[in-house]
Amino acid sequence: MFELTELPIDSTALRAKLARPEAGACVVFEGWVRNHHLGQPVNELHYEAFDVMAKLEGDAIVTEIEHRYPGCTVLCVHRTGALRVGELAVWIGVASPHRQAAFLACRRGIEEIKRRLPVWKKEHHPDGAAEWVNCTTEAASRGPKSADYYARQSALPEVGATGETQLANARVLVVGLGGLGCPAALYLAGAGVGQLTLVDSGKVELSNLHRQILFTTDDLGAPKAEAAVDALRARNPFIQLEALATEFAAQNARTLVAGRTVVLDCTDNFATRFILHDACFSAGVPLVQAAVHRFEGTLDVFRRGSGGCLHCLRQNRSVAELDAAAGNCSGGAVFGPAVGVLGTLQASETLKIILGRETAETFRQTHLINLLDCSVLSIAREANLNCPVCGRVETASSGAARTTSASADTPVMLEAAELAALGPVRLIALLDAGETFDPSRAVAGTLSLPMSDIAQLREMTATTETVVLTCRRGVRSAALARLLRAEGRADIYAMAAGSPAIMAAP
Amino acid sequence: MPASSPRPIKIRFFAVLREQAKCSTVEVVTIAATPADLYRELQTSHGLTFRADLLRVAVNERYVAMDLPLHAGDQVVFIPPVAGG
Repeated sequence: MFELTELPIDSTALRAKLARPEAGACVVFEGWVRNHHLGQPVNELHYEAFDVMAKLEGDAIVTEIEHRYPGCTVLCVHRTGALRVGELAVWIGVASPHRQAAFLACRRGIEEIKRRLPVWKKEHHPDGAAEWVNCTTEAASRGPKSADYYARQSALPEVGATGETQLANARVLVVGLGGLGCPAALYLAGAGVGQLTLVDSGKVELSNLHRQILFTTDDLGAPKAEAAVDALRARNPFIQLEALATEFAAQNARTLVAGRTVVLDCTDNFATRFILHDACFSAGVPLVQAAVHRFEGTLDVFRRGSGGCLHCLRQNRSVAELDAAAGNCSGGAVFGPAVGVLGTLQASETLKIILGRETAETFRQTHLINLLDCSVLSIAREANLNCPVCGRVETASSGAARTTSASADTPVMLEAAELAALGPVRLIALLDAGETFDPSRAVAGTLSLPMSDIAQLREMTATTETVVLTCRRGVRSAALARLLRAEGRADIYAMAAGSPAIMAAP
Repeated sequence: MPASSPRPIKIRFFAVLREQAKCSTVEVVTIAATPADLYRELQTSHGLTFRADLLRVAVNERYVAMDLPLHAGDQVVFIPPVAGG
């Protein structure tokens, strides 16, 4: 609960309001009027609040804190009107079953009040002079100066004033706040990336802490995105941070990726990696991707139009097969510094792209990094001409993006038994070079189309009908369906098994 | 050069393959004509159980197809899918 009051704050009465049998701790913060400010003597203060806004913001702060620290009850009162030296200006009390949460919630309460509450104070000096001070502006201005903050970075000839502006204007998305995302976000924030959005639906667990360096034991149970933003705000108060404690999925992929300067894939599974990759590919946003297995890791920077794509590297394999193979191999074991090094390299590649310091090789290599022998092996990567996504799509005109009523997060893959449930559909059989199509062996009404003709495929799928793609083995049609989904064509599917109507070249 | 003439090939194992092979690098003299043939040999000689169809292969620091012809002195890296983060 939050209150504004013109009457003197009665600390004892407020603490009694917080009393409850389940509480084992109560932490109270009292803000007092002091007799000096910035070297000037002060003998009286006059607080004024924009009542409606201050009440709304105060309530929001209290609600956020109680949500963040479950079990805590928060009471906050801010004084308005004339106050003498020594009087209480603000009072925050937190009752909680255990002391740790009470300390954290109370500290957070006063920091958020100082940062956000729309309150002004008029300082009366003994010489009769007086001045109005906006408390939130004052809180910000008393902090460090951004020029000092970036001094050692802007001294780099490769950065300088131009680079600092490029960094301040950058909008970067980090998906996944595990072992990779933590160090990556830390260095991006430190470098002054102007807008940093962090996405992770998970909560901080004890087994995360040996490698996920943004978090401490204070954060256990907290949403990772929020705990990460808190840690980064403490590190760099000069940037805009956004926490999204939601799952990154096909339904929000396009929105989250749109307008980003660079996106970082710090996730831990191929299912999410493909959704993120396809959204970036479709939007033309560079994607910096790393993945780790115990002591080793891979680093790839993808950009549409050079060096191929994730489908080139992993074509003809289903996401489920890849995830099963990768997951079974690691068993969840990971060497902390391995994710630390790879996540830091992701930040480095991202900053180079923002600063225009990337090279042609940046987008055309996979780096294999082994911490056991401190080795880096760089493998040349190029577009696979047979890749169903980038091998041909790069030159095709982009189809008209469209949205449909069907949900974009429904799975792309469709079993034969599910086909009937969709009702009338447009079935398209995609033929690779040399393959032939036998309509007599296909579901009635199936159209056939050369797989290379992406422009024609976009035209044929620009319909209000539900579209189902199939190909000989069921893999490339899935990749194309995912690509069209990423372009906004929601009600498109791919048959999980290949079509018996498509025959290989003799 | 006929596929049957033995020649030296340097192999580097990555991630789970390194763990299965219990070494990072190995040099073999082989009649294997392609990376696919070579991997089949290594499955027997080095106890690799990972599915060949989920691997990528690089020869001389360049991704190639599993059926590319191998030559004496080639350096081959087998790369399994890695996803952890």
